[in-house]
Amino acid sequence: MRFTSSFLPVWIVMFPMVMTAVIYYVEQHSEKMRNALAVGTSLVTFLSVAALYPYIMAGNIIEYKMFQLLPSLDISFRVDILSFSLALLSSFIWMMVAIYSLDYMCKEHGCNRYYPVLIITLASCMGIFMAGDLFTLFVFFELMSLISYVLVVHEETVEALRAGYKYLIMTIIGGLALFFGIIITFELAGTVTLSGATLIKEPSTLAFFAFISFLIGFGMKAGMFPLHVWLPDAHPVAPSPASALLSGIMLKTGAYGLLRVIFHVFGFEFMQREGWTVILAVVAVITILLGSAVAITQDDLKRRLAYSSIGQMGYILLGMSILTERALIGNIFHIFSHAFMKSTLFLCAGAIILKTGKRSIKELGGIGKQMPFTMFAFTLAALAMIGIPPFNGFLSKWTLSLGAMDAGVPFYVLVLLLSSLLNGLYYLPIIISAFFGGEPGHEHDHVKVNEAGYKMLIPIAILAVSCLLFGLLPTNLPFDLSRVAAEFLLRGGQ
Amino acid sequence: MSIVNHFPVLAVVVLLLFAYLMPLLMRWRKEWCVPATLGAIGFSLIASLYMMWQVMTTGPFMYQMGSWAPPWGIEFSIDYLAVFATMTITIVGLIVIYYGTQDLLHELKEQVMGWYYTLYLLLMASMIGMVLTNDLFNMFVFVEICAIASCGIISIKESRECIEAAFKYLVLSAVGSGCLLLAIAMIYMVTGHLNFTYVAQALPQVMDLYPLNILVSLALFLVGLGVKAALFPLHVWLPDAHSSAPSPSSAVLSGLVIKVYAIAMIKLLYKVYPPELLGMAPIMNMILWMATLAIIIGSMFAIVQDDIKKMLAYSSIAQIGYVFLGVGLMSESALQGGILHIFNHAIMKSMLFLSAGAIIYATGTRKLSDLKGIGITLPVPTIAFSLGAFAMVGIPITNGFISKWYLALGSLDVGRPFFAAVILVSSLLNGIYYLPIVVNAFFGEPEGAVAEPRPLPRQMVVSLILLGSGVILFGVFPSLILGVVSKAAQSLLGLL
Repeated sequence: MRFTSSFLPVWIVMFPMVMTAVIYYVEQHSEKMRNALAVGTSLVTFLSVAALYPYIMAGNIIEYKMFQLLPSLDISFRVDILSFSLALLSSFIWMMVAIYSLDYMCKEHGCNRYYPVLIITLASCMGIFMAGDLFTLFVFFELMSLISYVLVVHEETVEALRAGYKYLIMTIIGGLALFFGIIITFELAGTVTLSGATLIKEPSTLAFFAFISFLIGFGMKAGMFPLHVWLPDAHPVAPSPASALLSGIMLKTGAYGLLRVIFHVFGFEFMQREGWTVILAVVAVITILLGSAVAITQDDLKRRLAYSSIGQMGYILLGMSILTERALIGNIFHIFSHAFMKSTLFLCAGAIILKTGKRSIKELGGIGKQMPFTMFAFTLAALAMIGIPPFNGFLSKWTLSLGAMDAGVPFYVLVLLLSSLLNGLYYLPIIISAFFGGEPGHEHDHVKVNEAGYKMLIPIAILAVSCLLFGLLPTNLPFDLSRVAAEFLLRGGQ
Repeated sequence: MSIVNHFPVLAVVVLLLFAYLMPLLMRWRKEWCVPATLGAIGFSLIASLYMMWQVMTTGPFMYQMGSWAPPWGIEFSIDYLAVFATMTITIVGLIVIYYGTQDLLHELKEQVMGWYYTLYLLLMASMIGMVLTNDLFNMFVFVEICAIASCGIISIKESRECIEAAFKYLVLSAVGSGCLLLAIAMIYMVTGHLNFTYVAQALPQVMDLYPLNILVSLALFLVGLGVKAALFPLHVWLPDAHSSAPSPSSAVLSGLVIKVYAIAMIKLLYKVYPPELLGMAPIMNMILWMATLAIIIGSMFAIVQDDIKKMLAYSSIAQIGYVFLGVGLMSESALQGGILHIFNHAIMKSMLFLSAGAIIYATGTRKLSDLKGIGITLPVPTIAFSLGAFAMVGIPITNGFISKWYLALGSLDVGRPFFAAVILVSSLLNGIYYLPIVVNAFFGEPEGAVAEPRPLPRQMVVSLILLGSGVILFGVFPSLILGVVSKAAQSLLGLL
């Protein structure tokens, strides 16, 4: 294990931040330039993250200390394999979404607000994944959460503002819980730097408070039961590309934070010894079943997808509570899988809403004839969600189940199966009625194909094919990264 | 002997002198009033910065008035806390009155403008005097000047609610002053001294003889200064007084005046009364519980207000609770947090009041529910307001976060995480009443007067920008101010 100091992480975080200001300035003069810059920024960020690949795969950890805010409280960056994996994933999806937005947002109001916000949330997301200590993580976490409020209330309708208010209050509660957790960690350990050594070594009441605070703070973001209440309101009201990011990426920052807490603050052996993983397991199981079950009852397409996100986040939490190697691989791989699946689904939903204005699932009968390409992509992602081989969703569930068996808890496998069944119950009817349904009496009418523009279809296609590809190929990049990252974490993060 | 040696007294005397010049200038040289006021406060600012440099390089020192040595002469103690406080007072005071030169024109009658400057300079002089002095009776004199001047800058607006509020303030403040005088008399009775240093030396010796006197004097100080600092439950005068006054007055009253009494309290508790006495009665615990109630109840009252300035006034009650929380916890980090919060809150709250004032100036409305869409038509005050709101909630990279960090750390240091939780709950409550305003201001269609506001004069915009950059600057580089704050806390706790 070697440590290198590189300016690249700072560049990855700062570049989009600076570009936000540039975009804000440019958009006063030219919309074309604004769009080009937004896509360009996300592309450059993605490439910069990808440029870290050789360093990281060689087993290096990049550390960079920017400046000291208070004594032993720094703004610092640290990129290890886990940071790198998630940063790579996020910047890729961000790029896809930025391209998709070009067409989707052109008819919307407030684009001059949308693009700068899109880019600055990218910057803060990169900051979260590359943070070198809990404090930096917290700063970027707050930044991302507060700024994504603007994405949530973009439509400025009454229900958007109401959902936004709920989101805002929950965000503040989560932020304060994190603050509490971090300050307890600081008090007990004297530092909050994430490194090979765990911070809190002795169990105590205060340490338990810290764990609960972290669980509330990050779990709130991750849509964990019972703090998920904001999610089904906030995700559907946002514009679809923003929903894709909110569900696909920003939820994962909560999971990422919990991983860091489990492996760097307490250490997984500590967690298991104290039995705190049981708490995580209980909420994870409830989250899975609740999210999946409630999704069935939803008629609004995007709302159903939002509830499905809750269920899927439960898988990730479950992987964290099992803490065997294969469960951890499944957990990290599911972060990838779900990002691909859910952003595909939300982008497809966006295309449908844009072209037909229909949000209710009842009205979507026969939509497959009108938008065959979009619905095909939707089908791919939905099948991946259910966990049918050879999609990536199957691979993550399979690995998770193996991990659960390793830990000797077949009960979790049952939960996963049950949830898959529920997923099938709410995704399959959409697909079936889309292709075979339709209004009676019009069956023989010629339905005109009316697809969205290619700028929307290409990102959808890439993401949907990824769902298939990353399950079909036995060795693929996300799976390798997950495997290495899981090994890395279980080695104690060094 | 050069003039810089006399800076401690000059920082007060120059202000007093100019205060009495103002009515004359108003009569014959009206256009000189504003530059003279700014110049006088500017001089005090330079003097306090010079003193700060002196203290930071060579350590605290004493200044004897007219070279009369104590115990007969009056002494100024220029220590870390004092220079920190004078700097806060002069910086914020200067920015507020610079803003006020424009804003006051529309709130006050023209013939009273000169008197306003007189009162303002008197207020500044008394505040600086109060934090510098090392003498109990001298402190009392400054307390009285401060109280009268504060009432003056409220009631000068001559509206019904201003006079009523000022009267309420005057009566309660007089009760407070009475308590202070009694307390000082009791101290003098048992020790025969008025100088802080001598009293502090004498108290441990007489403590066994007159324990009751000393305890009662402490209680009277707590009530007297508590009334003036609006410590819960002695806060009843504050919401009316701070909300009805002209905006620059509100800014300086909420931002500075209540803090000065807190500083006086800190000096008495840590420098005058012996630590053994603090063990005799649970005085620190009482302060802690009063502070806790202030934090929670002040925030709760703020939630239900619809008048923007009234909401800010209630929020001040909560914020002064933070300062006293830092005082009461008796740990180094917490005391640092409390002292730091004096400075941070001075910047935040004066900025919030000034931006509220700017909004009232431009639109004529002070109802929160009417402020939809104001962020589009009046960007500078609204952004300043939002920054202040974020700082109040304690979002990182604003200065409010730093004070909360230290306060929470301090409460964990002494093993009382309950108070850290109090700070968090209060932050949440702050979020509940500040953030909807921000959201409303940026997402909503402006209507009526909000849609077509009056243009703001340059002075108001510049002041808001200065204060706003202060919030960010001291949030990102807290070490700029932490040096003197941590020295102040250490010297108060006797660690230096």
